[in-house]
Amino acid sequence: MAALFIMDFKWVNMIRDILSKIDENAINDPNAIVYDNLGKQNNYADLKEYSDSLAAYIDQLGIATGSPIMIFGGQEFEMIASFLAAAKSGHPYIPVDINSSEERIESIIKIANPALIIAIKELPVKISNRPIVELKQLQDIFTENSNYQIEHAVSGEDTFYIIFTSGTTGAPKGVQISSDNLLSFVNWIIGKKFNLPKQPITLSQPPFSFDLSVMDWVPTLVLGGQLKAVSRELADDFKRLFQTLPEYNPQVFVSTPSFVDLCLIDPDFNEKKMSNACYFLFCGEELTKKTALKLIDRFPKAKIFNTYGPTETTVAISQVEITKKIIEKSDRLPIGYPKEDTGVAIFGNQQQLLPEGETGEIVIYGQSVSKGYLNNPEKTQAAFFSYKGQHAYRTGDLGTLDAKGLLHYCGRKDFQIKLHGYRIELEEVNHALLKSRFVKQAVAVPRYDDDHKVSQLLAWVVPRENDFAKKIDLTKALKEDLKEVMMPYMIPSRFVYKESLPISANGKIDVKKAVAEVNNG
Amino acid sequence: MEKEVLAILENILGEDLSNQMDDNYFDNGLMDSMATVDLVLALQDKFGINVPVSEFDRSKWDTPNKVIERVKELADN
Repeated sequence: MAALFIMDFKWVNMIRDILSKIDENAINDPNAIVYDNLGKQNNYADLKEYSDSLAAYIDQLGIATGSPIMIFGGQEFEMIASFLAAAKSGHPYIPVDINSSEERIESIIKIANPALIIAIKELPVKISNRPIVELKQLQDIFTENSNYQIEHAVSGEDTFYIIFTSGTTGAPKGVQISSDNLLSFVNWIIGKKFNLPKQPITLSQPPFSFDLSVMDWVPTLVLGGQLKAVSRELADDFKRLFQTLPEYNPQVFVSTPSFVDLCLIDPDFNEKKMSNACYFLFCGEELTKKTALKLIDRFPKAKIFNTYGPTETTVAISQVEITKKIIEKSDRLPIGYPKEDTGVAIFGNQQQLLPEGETGEIVIYGQSVSKGYLNNPEKTQAAFFSYKGQHAYRTGDLGTLDAKGLLHYCGRKDFQIKLHGYRIELEEVNHALLKSRFVKQAVAVPRYDDDHKVSQLLAWVVPRENDFAKKIDLTKALKEDLKEVMMPYMIPSRFVYKESLPISANGKIDVKKAVAEVNNG
Repeated sequence: MEKEVLAILENILGEDLSNQMDDNYFDNGLMDSMATVDLVLALQDKFGINVPVSEFDRSKWDTPNKVIERVKELADN
């Protein structure tokens, strides 16, 4: 009896089903605002009506059960309504950001073969062999107001969403996150470890194709809170951004450290002007001591959490509150204690388990681990395996576990970098560079700042013969070429032209030598 | 002062811009939002000025010559 009582008690703050919890919030408080995009507001009744109506529409299309739906757009309310509609009707969704290159969109379509495309913004590619719903039709569908009964929603092991990340061979990899993966993540975020406000007002800044967005929108909707949208245009326009932030006055910031670095250049970004801000949740790249100290200085009463996890293990799997004391005693800030249902092990070069305090590859196993990459058994097998009878993922990140079970980050095993939170495989950049008609040989080289963070991506290029009078003209033409084949954030900002590239003993381009020269030269 | 501004830009962008004083570095992709953050912080640090970021208009800061002009204005205030 006592044991049963304790178990029930534990369930008080936990949820069993994301979709029905959000619907329940809509029924209990239909007029509560769920989304505010610069004053254009939608409430929970809209969210339920839109997602129900679209789910009913998808059902009558007769597309195969469990086939994915691609959803293309920016930071619009219609994106979230469409995600929920896909899940309600039993289909995984693939969020694709408006700033994606044509080649990226085409390869996602080729790999995922989506049964339906919902284009909230105009697609830059032609679609002929599959159904597509564009915004105007979508708006009509949204108001059909069907009384939808959830009967075959995604659940358990079914894939809830697929997010594409950079792949080393140039083809992106679709990480499949199941309903169970997501449920475990959401229960952790809304649980006592973070202790978020009851109906949080949360900033929604990372694009939906970046899984950090899952940390803001899903928990906020489950808690009946409100999202305050920051589009890329708004983030790029400092004047407007700094006017908007105090008006939004969110309680919860979910962002990359880079975005907060940007906010911190405004001296008014402080406790006085942003009186509600009390939670900062960081993920996506290293949080430096410098950024954390500045933030504590501006918001002495706020709670700051550093979290860690690759897309393959559902957004984040570890967290630690960053206090002044922790900052003082660390050289590099810790990345957290793993969540209860997910383990971390440190492996050596021979795949052997390393003891506490030694540095090796971070392996993550348990409830948070993805089933693998969509339609890519080769890459799935290379990165996923079974450990202690549980599903496990080799992160490629280097780290150590200390005596308290706290995880510390020590860099990468391979040529993956984080640039302002975006995950980039340097090999993918190299691939794309070689596609340009102006390039004979090329290598992407990161430049690091004093806090071991990548501050700039360069390209060392041996150009083909060309008629450009000035280097800058060649660079402009090259960048135009690259826009077609790569995501904007992956395009090197600076091109250095060389007669030849350094070659290592095994005959390959010596990336390490190039990195050393850029960073010490 | 010009030399110092150019040194700051070179440090951030990794390129000597002294022969591109009127080229828009946002247009050619050399500068982005995050590099602008670094620029503002470095200028404040170096010249003891306050860049009014809540009034920040990108079109007034998009070439080396414009940055030099702005720094002069702000230093005079």
